[in-house]
Amino acid sequence: MKATVAEAVEVGTQLPSLTVRFTRQRLVRYAGAATDFNPIHYSEHFAKQAGLPGVIAHGMLTMGTALRMVTNWVGDPSRVTSYSARFPRPVVIPDDADGVEVEFTGSVSGIEGSLVTVSIEARCGGQKVLGAARAEVDLGVRVPHRDHES
Amino acid sequence: MAITEAHAGRCYPPNDPYQVSAAKIAEFATALGDDNPRYRGDSPIAPPTFAVVIAAQAWNQLFNDPELELSLDRIVHGDQRLSFSRPFRAGDVVIATVTIDKVRVRAGSELVWATVDMSGREGDQICATQTTFYHAREALA
Repeated sequence: MKATVAEAVEVGTQLPSLTVRFTRQRLVRYAGAATDFNPIHYSEHFAKQAGLPGVIAHGMLTMGTALRMVTNWVGDPSRVTSYSARFPRPVVIPDDADGVEVEFTGSVSGIEGSLVTVSIEARCGGQKVLGAARAEVDLGVRVPHRDHES
Repeated sequence: MAITEAHAGRCYPPNDPYQVSAAKIAEFATALGDDNPRYRGDSPIAPPTFAVVIAAQAWNQLFNDPELELSLDRIVHGDQRLSFSRPFRAGDVVIATVTIDKVRVRAGSELVWATVDMSGREGDQICATQTTFYHAREALA
């Protein structure tokens, strides 16, 4: 862990944001790495059959990428004790070289002892693509209270 | 027959042990565009969401259960919860067990809630994950 994190953290602390470009190529790479070969992530035909507007990114690609923001911040990924998110709308990936940009932002929404909750937002084209995304990290040292210090 | 509310509580036999390798961890981290040094080298840990690589093996038991009549290509991930006792490490041999928690049948679709428990060879819990899947009963186009 970076020592500065526990010293400086308080509710409302913003994490350094992250912007990532998702392309079809990235989807193929993730499919292989995650062994998730659902064809809605590479075939327009199957995506439409599933009622989707087009090929969509794996929800776990979005969720896993979002967590980079948190693990970059704490340094040590083993500090993550829980992580949850909903997938309220699909991230549709066009069949071109540019793909789409997904923007991730996060802020500290809770502190209890050494446990810090980070609330994460992910946006694509201005739309939220993760819902109620929260990661809990154990900083290993009690975070000092600063709320009512004069 | 297809999946119904009555399948809630169904627990499948444990999956074949999954051996976590440094190469697979590095491949997964690269797919996420994550260059964290803890995911590389001789004794890496895995990115937290690597859990779904192992969980996916267990989910396949649902998707391949002929009684449930689920088709992978009509499944969309609704949400995901992960909780960790410790990170996955290269060399871990992981046993995953999947349970159907709840099923809701709607007109033309189903919602399925499932839990995968993942533990080490000694039965020590590493990670538990809850998932909601949306399944379209028929192809729509």
